[in-house]
Parts: sequence; C-alpha cells; structure tokens
Amino acid sequence: MFYVDIIKRALRNLLSAKARTILTALAIAVGTFALTLTLGASNGAQNYAQNIVKTNFDPSELLVAKDTGLFKRQDASRPQLYDPSYGSITTFGGETRQVKMLDTSDIQKLAKIKGVSSAQPGINVSLQYLTKDNTNKYIGTLAPYNPYQNPTLLAGKIPPQLQENTLILPEGFLGSLGFIDAQSAINQTIKLSVLSQATSSMVPGASKSQVTDFKIIAVYKTPNTAISAATSLNLYASLGSVENLNNFIYKGTGNYQKYLEAVVKVTDGTNTTKLNDVENLIKAQGYGVQSVIDTEKTITQIIGVLEGIVTVFGIIAIIASVFGVVNTMYISVLQRTREIGLMKALGMHRKDISRLFRIEAGLIGLLGGIIGSLLAIVGGTGLNPVISSKLGLGDSKLLIFKFSQVGLLIIALIIIGIIAGLLPARKAAHLDPIEALRTE
Amino acid sequence: MIEVKNLTKIYGKKENKFTALSDVSLNIKSKSTVSIIGKSGSGKSTLMHIMSGLDEPTSGSVVIGGKNIFEMSERKIDSFRANEMSFVFQSFFIEANATCLQNVLLPLEIARVSLTKRKQLAIDALEAVELEDKASVKASTLSGGQKQRLAVARAIVNKPSILFADEPTGNLDSVTGDKIMDLIFSLNKKLGCTVILVTHDNDLAKQTDMRIRLKDGKIESIEESKK
Repeated sequence: MFYVDIIKRALRNLLSAKARTILTALAIAVGTFALTLTLGASNGAQNYAQNIVKTNFDPSELLVAKDTGLFKRQDASRPQLYDPSYGSITTFGGETRQVKMLDTSDIQKLAKIKGVSSAQPGINVSLQYLTKDNTNKYIGTLAPYNPYQNPTLLAGKIPPQLQENTLILPEGFLGSLGFIDAQSAINQTIKLSVLSQATSSMVPGASKSQVTDFKIIAVYKTPNTAISAATSLNLYASLGSVENLNNFIYKGTGNYQKYLEAVVKVTDGTNTTKLNDVENLIKAQGYGVQSVIDTEKTITQIIGVLEGIVTVFGIIAIIASVFGVVNTMYISVLQRTREIGLMKALGMHRKDISRLFRIEAGLIGLLGGIIGSLLAIVGGTGLNPVISSKLGLGDSKLLIFKFSQVGLLIIALIIIGIIAGLLPARKAAHLDPIEALRTE
Repeated sequence: MIEVKNLTKIYGKKENKFTALSDVSLNIKSKSTVSIIGKSGSGKSTLMHIMSGLDEPTSGSVVIGGKNIFEMSERKIDSFRANEMSFVFQSFFIEANATCLQNVLLPLEIARVSLTKRKQLAIDALEAVELEDKASVKASTLSGGQKQRLAVARAIVNKPSILFADEPTGNLDSVTGDKIMDLIFSLNKKLGCTVILVTHDNDLAKQTDMRIRLKDGKIESIEESKK
C-alpha cells in the first residue's frame, strides 16, 4: 500500500470515531497546552531578562572585585577566620562577611591591562537625605551616570559630559519634591546631604554631614525594566560628583578610597572574544570578575528552575496521555479485528497494517499538539496585555510564542504518538487473518 | 490450474489434536466454477483458507500456475493474493463508514495500482454489479443484497484469476441469494476467473462445473458436470 493511501485510510478511521479521537487528543492537548505556555513564558522571561540586562548594564563592561568570593555564593554555615588584611566587614542579607576592597592603586592597575579602555570605581552613594526648599526630606541613592543606560527623558537633555553637581532626576521624585511636572523641575536646585561615617562612628550623636546643591538637568521616565523598584528611584550624576560625596562619607575611615568593585570598560567589549580575553587577564591578576553575560546567566538560571518545574508537569501530563493513546489504539484494534482480517485476506502486508495503526496514533499526537498549542497561543496572546500590565512589565510580553518551537513540540508529539501506537500496531499486524475473519 | 497435493491440516497437539483435513488431493481447472460442499466441520473453510494461502497446511502443497504458494515468502504470498485472488464472505465484511467507492478501492490500494487507473476500475466494478449510482453513498445505508453486490464488486475490481466465495448467500434471502449467484457465475464467464464456492447448498453446488464433497476432512466424492 502506498503511504498516501495508508494516511488517507488512517484519517478516515480517526474521523469515523470522532469522539474517541478527540477525547484522546484532548488528553495530549492538556500537556501540550502546559508545555506551549511554558515555552512562551520562558521566551518572554528570557526576553525580559535580556531587556533588564540591556537597559541596566553595558555589555562591554566588567565588574571587578578584589574579593574573588564576591560574585559567588559562599558557605556561611561554618565560622570564618578573621583576616586583618581584609578592608571591611560587611553584611549581606544578614550574613556578615569580610570583603577585600579595591583601592586606587588597583583601579590604576586595572586601567593598564591590555584591552581595557577605562577603569572606574563602582560606587553608589547612599544619601542621608535629599530635599528641596519647603519639602520633606527623602532618602535616596546617587549613582554615576552611564551613557549606555540611555533613559527615556520626560524633560531636559543629557550632555555628553555631565557637569559637576548636576543630576538626572527620576520621575518618581517629581511630586514629592513639589514639582508639577517634569519640565518645571529642569534647572531647579535640590539639596543632597551625605553623612560622614568617620565622625558618626567616633562620637555618637555628633555626626557631621555635608549638604550639596545639585541642579536638575533632566528627568527620566521610570523604566519597566529596572532591576528592582528601588533602583528606579536612583538619581544620576557624573562620576566625579558621586566620588566627591563618597569621599566625604568615608574620609577618616578604613574604607576611604576603597571600593567593593570597579567598573572596567573593555575596548570593543561587545565582541565576546575580546571581553573574555580581558576577563581572563583580570582573573589572572587575582581579581574576581563578573560580566553582563554572567549577570544574565544568574537571572536566567532562576527562570530556568521555574521553567523546569512547569516543564516536568507538562511532560508528566503528556506521559499520562500516552497511556490514553495506547488504550485507544488497543480498543481500535479490537473493534476493527474483522477489518484487519479482511485487509490481510486481500493481501495487505503486515508492515502496512502496523504502519496504518502507528500513523493513526501519530495523527492523534498531531491533533492533540495542534489543539493544545493553538489554545495556548490564542489564550496566551489574548491574556498577554492583561498579564503584562498586572506584573508591570510595560511593553514587554510575558508570553512570546515561537513557531519553530511549537512546530518542534508538535513533531515530538507525533513521534510520541507513533511510539505509543507501537504495541497496538504490533498486535494488529500479528493478528491471525482467519481468526480475525471469524470474529463476531 | 490449481493443484492440491496431499493436504493435511492438524490443529492442536497430543490429546487435543484435531485433523481438519486429511490427505486431500485435487486439481481445479482454470476458469471453472467449483463448489466445496459438506457439513459443518467437514473442512470446507479450512481447505479454502489453505488454497488461498491464508493458512498453512501441516503437510502437502498448493500449486497455482506452477508455483507452490507455500514456498513463497510471506510478502510474496500477500502480493500474490492481492493480485490474483479475491474473496466474497458470508458476512460481507463491508466497511460501513466508508462509501461504496472507497470499499471497492481497497483491493486496488493494497495491490498498489496507480492512482490514475483506480477510480475508473472501481466504477467499472460498481457498474458490473449495478451499484454505480451508489458510489458516493455510505455502505452502511445499503440493504443486505446490495452489500453483497458491493462485496462482489470489491472482489472483481482487481480482475483476479481466482475468486473464493465463502457461503456468499448465507445471509441473504433466496431471491437475493439467487441474484448474487447469477452475478458471480456471469462474472466467471465474463472475466474468466476461477470461482471456488464454499456452500451447504446442494442446489447451488449443482450449478458449478465441479463439486468436491468433504466429510470429516477427507474427500468423499468429486463430481464434474459434463459440458
């Protein structure tokens, strides 16, 4: 029998038992639905993670730390020996750690490494408060502006080189600082206060603070890809301005001009090979390094675990439905015993009979795959705007469906169907035609 | 020519042993009509199944056109059946959910007849049994007589050299049964195929060229009509 005839016959057989075919296919569709949604969510999450990384980190930059353990999880279950060579005792989420700090000589050393275009201390200043005349005082963070961030501006302009004591304000502070809108904030001055750690630690209660006036030159829109809600309220200024405040905070302490990490920009760093070369050179000098790719990996690793869990459930659903296909095909063989007998009497080869039942099982897999993936795509696409708005993802979509993936999933289901049909097909192929023709 | 030589068929083993056919030998001329008659359990169907290659004998041979069909591979016997033999059964064995045309196309699909020739051959076969107007009708809607005519159309569509008919009138009333047999005999003359008929009906058997009477798996008598 030609393949085309076997396929036509298989289709006709499935159509003649519509209810049974659809019910069996629906069992497969449940697993397919879950897997298609998982794939869509995975694509969406990967895309979102990439957006976060893209809008928050410069891919040609490397984060460098003196403490190689900074970018790794450390075993905090055992007591750690005190090492006086470490510059600082720091608390990370309730865990006390000694951290080796970078100093200016390290920064200079990093800047001289082949392939490095610049090395800067990575600093964020925790402000004592920020305020405008006659408004409340608010806590905040001042970070150095990186042109790579390219924020969406609501008002103002960002010059190629930021002047000292000018800043870019997040829209979240507009109302709190008494501005009617973004435009009205431009060229206005706000006060940033920082508290010296030296005085406060030596004479409690006698802390020394410094208030500096900063001119607002631009207001940026809160990005929906901020790493956290808190970073969406960061104020940005030139590195020099941030460094000045940072120096004031730590002058007179052991952490003066010492930095947890440095930001190293690599020449042509978007080229992965060049970035890796510099990464290796820095590592060879005993520093810890983390690239944007590493950051992305960390984010996607978490997503991967969640995906894995949902995928396992989807696969379990498909495995369960495979038994449904086996059962359906066995029933089909029993019901069509006389038909099988007739086909054998008319000279149909065993292999063709086996093929017929395997193709029928494969077609059930195909139908289940199409129903499940279509439901997931239609439902997911319809719900995408609602989910994205609820999760505050902005323009990003939580579910992104790729036809290549769905196609591969459906092909896999056809193969699974064919495998599920193997035993019933074997039974059909080995039926004794005389016994089959005698069956009532 | 079909030459059946010393056919023996034994089912089961030891105390459960049952001899369905015992040393049966006979020759059937091409294009003749032959009836195999006998009581239930006499071995009629077993003989037909073995002659058609659906079953294997315990010993003996069936030579058709000079070839012992039991020396062929399973695949070759299948192909031989698909191209040279056909069947009409008491229970019709019609695919109820398929159309009449689809039913008649089945042997052509199995014999891998080219797609272009198939439809015309099937329509010719339906015309031969006067069912051409039912080509696109579902087989389940046909009467008993029409179903058996459809089965005959399916049997002749691939122009077989041997047509096996196992109690073809058993499920039909006498008038319809007579019409079916007239049809089968006329097709024998028209197409020149050998018709081997398994029946209980002595009157029907009398219409065939050769009558093989079986009793307890052995040939009791062979009668041939004088032409």
